[in-house]
Amino acid sequence: MCGIVGYTGKNNAREILLKGLGRLEYRGYDSAGVALAGESGIYIQKKKGRLKELDAKEIPSTNIGIGHTRWATHGKPSNENSHPFSDCTGDIAIVHNGIIDNFIHLKEDLINKGHEFTSETDSEIISHLLEEHFNGDLVDTLKIVVKMLKGSFAICALQKDSKNIAVARNQSPLVIGLGVGENFVASDVPAILDYTNEVKYLEDGDVALLTPNEVRIWDSQDALVERDVVEIQWTIEDAEKGGYEHYMLKEIHEQPKAIHASLLGRLGGFTEVDLGKYDTEFIRLISCGTSYHAALVGKYLIEDIARIPCTAELASEYRYSSPSELHPFTILISQSGETADTIAAAKEAKRRGCKTLAVTNVMNSSITREVDEVIFTHAGPEIGVAATKTFTTQVIMMYLIAIELGLKTKRLLRETAQEYRDELRRIPRHVRVLLDRSEDIERVSEKLIGADDIFFVGRHLNYPVALEGALKLKEIAYIHSAGYPAGELKHGPFALLTNRTPVVAISVKDHTFEKMLGNIGEIASRDSPIIAVGDHDPELEKLSDDLITVPSVPTLFSPILVNVVLQLLAYYTAYKLECAIDKPRNLAKSVTVE
Amino acid sequence: MKAVILAAGEGRRLRPFTSSEPKVMIPVANKPILQYVVEALVSNDIHDIIMVVGYHQEKIKSFFGDGDEFDARISYIEQPKQLGTAHALYQARNSVEENFIVLPGDNLVSTDTIDDLVNEGKTSSVLITTSDEPSKYGVVSMENGIVEDIAEKPEHSISHHISTGIYYLSRDVFSRIEQLMADNTYDLTSVLNSLKDIRELNGIHTESMWMDAVYPWDLLSLNSAALHELATANRGMVEKGVIIKGPVSIGEGSVIKGGAYIEGPAIIGEGCEIGPHTCILPSSSIGNDCTVGAHTIICNSIVMDGARIGYKSILESSIIGEGVSIGAGFVSHTDVVDIIIEGHLERVENIGCMVAEDTTMGGGVTCYPGVIIGDRCDIRTGSLLRDNVLPGSSVR
Repeated sequence: MCGIVGYTGKNNAREILLKGLGRLEYRGYDSAGVALAGESGIYIQKKKGRLKELDAKEIPSTNIGIGHTRWATHGKPSNENSHPFSDCTGDIAIVHNGIIDNFIHLKEDLINKGHEFTSETDSEIISHLLEEHFNGDLVDTLKIVVKMLKGSFAICALQKDSKNIAVARNQSPLVIGLGVGENFVASDVPAILDYTNEVKYLEDGDVALLTPNEVRIWDSQDALVERDVVEIQWTIEDAEKGGYEHYMLKEIHEQPKAIHASLLGRLGGFTEVDLGKYDTEFIRLISCGTSYHAALVGKYLIEDIARIPCTAELASEYRYSSPSELHPFTILISQSGETADTIAAAKEAKRRGCKTLAVTNVMNSSITREVDEVIFTHAGPEIGVAATKTFTTQVIMMYLIAIELGLKTKRLLRETAQEYRDELRRIPRHVRVLLDRSEDIERVSEKLIGADDIFFVGRHLNYPVALEGALKLKEIAYIHSAGYPAGELKHGPFALLTNRTPVVAISVKDHTFEKMLGNIGEIASRDSPIIAVGDHDPELEKLSDDLITVPSVPTLFSPILVNVVLQLLAYYTAYKLECAIDKPRNLAKSVTVE
Repeated sequence: MKAVILAAGEGRRLRPFTSSEPKVMIPVANKPILQYVVEALVSNDIHDIIMVVGYHQEKIKSFFGDGDEFDARISYIEQPKQLGTAHALYQARNSVEENFIVLPGDNLVSTDTIDDLVNEGKTSSVLITTSDEPSKYGVVSMENGIVEDIAEKPEHSISHHISTGIYYLSRDVFSRIEQLMADNTYDLTSVLNSLKDIRELNGIHTESMWMDAVYPWDLLSLNSAALHELATANRGMVEKGVIIKGPVSIGEGSVIKGGAYIEGPAIIGEGCEIGPHTCILPSSSIGNDCTVGAHTIICNSIVMDGARIGYKSILESSIIGEGVSIGAGFVSHTDVVDIIIEGHLERVENIGCMVAEDTTMGGGVTCYPGVIIGDRCDIRTGSLLRDNVLPGSSVR
């Protein structure tokens, strides 16, 4: 999915394009570019990476331009493959969203006629076709060119020494924004909603001309047509969140889909990485924040399933630790792939002679250049600052890595691996069922309102989940909360328990269940309100004030489901406290400072 | 032009398959019924869609979002209480322009169906089709293209013409709805029937696809009709020695193990594992993330997302809900069955079993023809199921 935007008018096109592209970042953000027409011809700047990689100071101030932002699902983003594209002369530039099915044939033709291509994209043929068939009028030429194209497209084109933008649409979204003395075009309304709320939606086969003072639209029969002016009633925020009140809630609900996508083609083993060729006698997982909790789950999984000694460390600590004789296989986890400490840790691990693997959600992010191997989580773009679906898919990757390593060490039987993979295949379904019980969780969240301190406890695989649950609540509900291994309560935190400190106790029926019941009994004797999350059990029900059960799965897979409960618990608590859920104070989505 | 899709009802007669999602979201050929409606509108260049939602509306909203993915612009209006179709349409009164299309979200339609209505271009029209079982629907009597009467589910029907519930209307209808709602009449058929006196309602006949699932077993014919449009596509991993005949679509990340025999039309979703020597026969749909054990036979059936079927099972003319887990050696027998439903006898040809979501079964379970098993049941190994099982039951 890509986003495009165009502007012609009286104001500085640079600002409008960059802001508009920013609004379209939800459509993807792994390369971006702009083209502006000025007196000295067409200026193009395009970069792989996020929009902020563009050097705004370098971009000239003119009154007309087009821009593009992209999210690669397959294939590598690069400067060359980024939009906009120009023709051989540099007099025409285009941006395109969609897929041209017959581009190979058209490209061969153009090459035979002497056109030189700079990229491997289907999109670049459009600028060369415009050059080849140019008849003195850009929009006329575009009409000729779109007749040759098969596939889906939204196209914006501009030409030097002109204030006109020519656009075309077929099966890819394109909307025109109407201003006074200026006009806009974009893939989606949010890109232009800062400037106008009057839009015209183009229909399939339409070609249009935008000048600062008019918009003319022709249909596929080349008849001049009027499209209705639609007044947009909603705000930018509504548009991007697709019906949900917050990105965080949207992303929590996207988890079944994200898990499904992250497992696709991988349940028979990774094809992109061969862990078998590395020395994996000892493994170290390194990361920050929420990703660190995924790493901790990974540590337990790798130890349980593959029986390989494993440590999980914080990137900001590892960097300054002393090297040892050992050269553990090092796995770095970062959602954005831009976390400064994790990138520095990757460099440090390499310097120490370790082989490195990154687990990240963003293609071509900085960390991918620092490591030997990369696994992508395929969770899709995440906007909410509090990580939800990306954590879940990181944990899914931990299962897959542990299973692969288990088969390698032969500590995991093939038939057990098959069972585990069959269980993973059903996780999206279980999460969906759990999300249907949101109302129960919302009701329980009431119990957390008014508390100044909240404790989260769990054992074994669910200890990291307790940490993550506490972090989510801190981040978005601004309530002091702390996660502990349940066995550690007695060693200090117990002193703080009163009837005003709710305790969220994770208790699934694994080998620690009896011990957990004991711990919960002790907590109950301090009169602390207890919210138990886990499996159904009469004893547990008696001891706790509330019990939120998760669908029954083998306990090895419980962390994913328990965590979804804790996400919703944090969300609804923050919601009731009227916190800024998607943009918590003092926090940034990707921490690029050390 | 805008279209209003009525998608607020549960579809009670399809229970237990509506326990956590409305009828419009039940998949046939791996797509919710409502998606066929949206796609038919979009391919007729109707991109502005208003969905009136109610029962489990979050399922609809999270699937369709703002419609971007479907090349539509979808907005949602809530019908808090599902009083009737006219009341549902009335909720959308501030969102439509002069003329608009109204259609139910739970009927399978094609591009041509909508085209038949739009092409006539007469406002105040109802699309009419023929049915073998007219008494289940609104039976229409017509003269010279003008509707004389619509009789809702008559005991003795005099015509095979039935209303599809698809209308092309103008804003005038809202004042009429107001009048009838004042008399506690909330269904659209009655509202439009009141137009017959002034001979204003045009009947437009269509031969294009229009199918309704009244009872659960009807889903199988919708599934088989939707599969007729299927194009062959293989985005999964097919091992050596698999035989594929006819149109078969295999989704990304799915693995088909050696020795499997697949005869289309059949669709297999994403991320599935189809075991060795399985046999998948025509008119079968298998959803995403399903596991099918070795030597299992699936024929003319719907298997929904996340289901697991054990080794050496036989699944014929059956419907398996989301997340159902079935042990090895399961058998569904098929036959012609007389099912008593809503106080009358319904003869169903060639039906197997219908199992609703998240039910788990041990090994060696056998189902009699026409048996309906509720959601979240726990059926122990070796059970012989002769009768329907209520949701949440335990069978030992």
